[in-house]
Amino acid sequence: MRAFLDNLRLALGTFLGNPLRSLLTLLGIVIGVATVITMMGLIEGLRTKVNRDLGRLGAHTFQLTKWPAGGFGRFNWAKFAKRPDMGLEDVRAIEMFCPSVGVVAPSDDQGGQKVSTVSAETRPSVRIIGASTTYPMTSGVSVQSGRYFNEVEGMDGRNVVLLGVDVADLLFPGIDPVGFEVRIQNRPFRVIGVLQRRGSFLGMVSMDNQALIPLRVFQQLYGKERSLDIDIQAKDPSLFRKAQDEVTTLMRRRRNVDPDQPNDFEIHTNESVTASFNQLSQVITIAGIGVCLLSLVVGGIGILNIMLVSVMERTREIGVRKALGAKRRRILGQFATEAVLLALFGGGLGVGLGFGLVFLGDWMVGFPMSVPPWAVGLALSMSCGVGLLFGIYPAARAAKLDPVEAMRNE
Amino acid sequence: MSDGSGAGTGRLIQVDDITRVFHVGGEEVRALRGVTFGISRGEWVAIIGQSGSGKSTMMNVLGCLDTPTSGRYMLNGKDVSRMSDDELAVIRNVEIGFIFQTFQLLPKETALANVELPLVYRGMAAKERRERAKAALDKVQLTHRMHHRPNELSGGQRQRVAIARALVSEPSMLLADEPTGNLDSATGEEIVRLFEQLHQAGHTLVLVTHEPKLAARCPRAIRLSDGEIVADGPGREVAMGVAGPMVAGV
Repeated sequence: MRAFLDNLRLALGTFLGNPLRSLLTLLGIVIGVATVITMMGLIEGLRTKVNRDLGRLGAHTFQLTKWPAGGFGRFNWAKFAKRPDMGLEDVRAIEMFCPSVGVVAPSDDQGGQKVSTVSAETRPSVRIIGASTTYPMTSGVSVQSGRYFNEVEGMDGRNVVLLGVDVADLLFPGIDPVGFEVRIQNRPFRVIGVLQRRGSFLGMVSMDNQALIPLRVFQQLYGKERSLDIDIQAKDPSLFRKAQDEVTTLMRRRRNVDPDQPNDFEIHTNESVTASFNQLSQVITIAGIGVCLLSLVVGGIGILNIMLVSVMERTREIGVRKALGAKRRRILGQFATEAVLLALFGGGLGVGLGFGLVFLGDWMVGFPMSVPPWAVGLALSMSCGVGLLFGIYPAARAAKLDPVEAMRNE
Repeated sequence: MSDGSGAGTGRLIQVDDITRVFHVGGEEVRALRGVTFGISRGEWVAIIGQSGSGKSTMMNVLGCLDTPTSGRYMLNGKDVSRMSDDELAVIRNVEIGFIFQTFQLLPKETALANVELPLVYRGMAAKERRERAKAALDKVQLTHRMHHRPNELSGGQRQRVAIARALVSEPSMLLADEPTGNLDSATGEEIVRLFEQLHQAGHTLVLVTHEPKLAARCPRAIRLSDGEIVADGPGREVAMGVAGPMVAGV
């Protein structure tokens, strides 16, 4: 213990004796640790946000779609693209043949669209959603002013539109747009309502930069050869599982899926979407740790280098210490402690910087990031490990020095 | 005066037929060729010789910084000639107080911390070693400079710090390598007087030097030439070349 304290004091002295050199050496470790802390903060924030934002499907509602919910790496998008599209016939079949299903709400959307008036236009970034009249029952969309389109407007494919708050504010600053006309794809639409503000998805993508039109009109504008997303609500919470089974059986039959083949469609529930995000976040975590490890190795090489220089510069000192009675183990301990302390200090700086970035992110984009304590522990212990791993060789070299030769060193 | 036979009691150092062979670039260099002598407690002995005589090798062997190729070296009753590195480190720490020509002080540490150093490796508590280091600095009259770093001290003061460092662990012997070699004559004289005081106080002193004047001040001197003892006797006589071979050697 006493030897350890002495080593610690010596290491601290060396560190403070060359602060700039030490700091530069530590840069790799600082960056590595800051990266892992920031990434963990980001993922933790994402997780919180996703759990909140992805819960948009109402109670006992699931979504039927051709595409998987996301994920990372192992998806073969070409394979999913070949799957048959979901169409209005599927919607009708579900309504007819699935007794446990209460509401079916098909929708489709197209991003990157412009909405204009005579005097103003949006950037081409508006998402146009083609929806059924049942859409508000399953999607969490609600109307702030005006009204939703009715059955007749939906069936007839009338040119009516509900604007997202962002679009409404841009095109009609300070006035209620209901009753005015806007143009989408050069077609005039009458504004019948403004949607309730929904905020941004994951703090980045605004969910109010959209316009909602009847699905039939949408298909006239963008074509019918597209796959629909179909929100399905069970009649009753107790029928949630049954409704999913009915839909699955029906869809397998309609799409001629052999009994030994997997589904060629996806059923998303809030749970399945969250689970698929969790899978994604795991991949990001592993990637983050990979980046961190890489930086730590770079940092470790820095430490190895500086420790070798330090041993060379202090050869004479090592000789004196050995002449005065320092055993090999003691010299080894002295230099290993120095390397570990150096790495640990770098780790500490990295944690500080990481927290700084997390707070900055929080403050600048309002993204609720939080760093899990295990990430701090992991980052610091990895720094320690790197210090020890890369410090041991120079320390062993120091310990092996011959005192007579070492003291002769100029 | 020692009889060099190694048979007597109270003998602190006894080297018997020590050789040290180095291999340099495929060639064999015999730095010591069968050296035998003894040093008793409380003696003050100079080992003198020209450059290349083997005195530095002798000093390294005596200081347990090097081990002999053959022969036996008994230090304070222990055979140190076949010890491992770590065992030798303990012997150096406990038995020997080194005083080097170039002082070998740690430049970033204060005089006090430098003096404390041997006690650090003895595992002594910080408070106790500080007290003992202060006492050692007091012996060389440097208490007032104890918080200064070596570069803030004069040559003589540095050597006195080194002497305090050698004294602090109360070793069996003080081993000095050209202790006045880096000092002007007045300061050198000051250091020699300090050695006289230490000798009178009962310390065993071994000086390795090439300066006959310094050797002449020692009660006993051993002259080495080509790795062999050519004279061993009263310092003045050996230094002036009057003493014949092995007056007190074998």
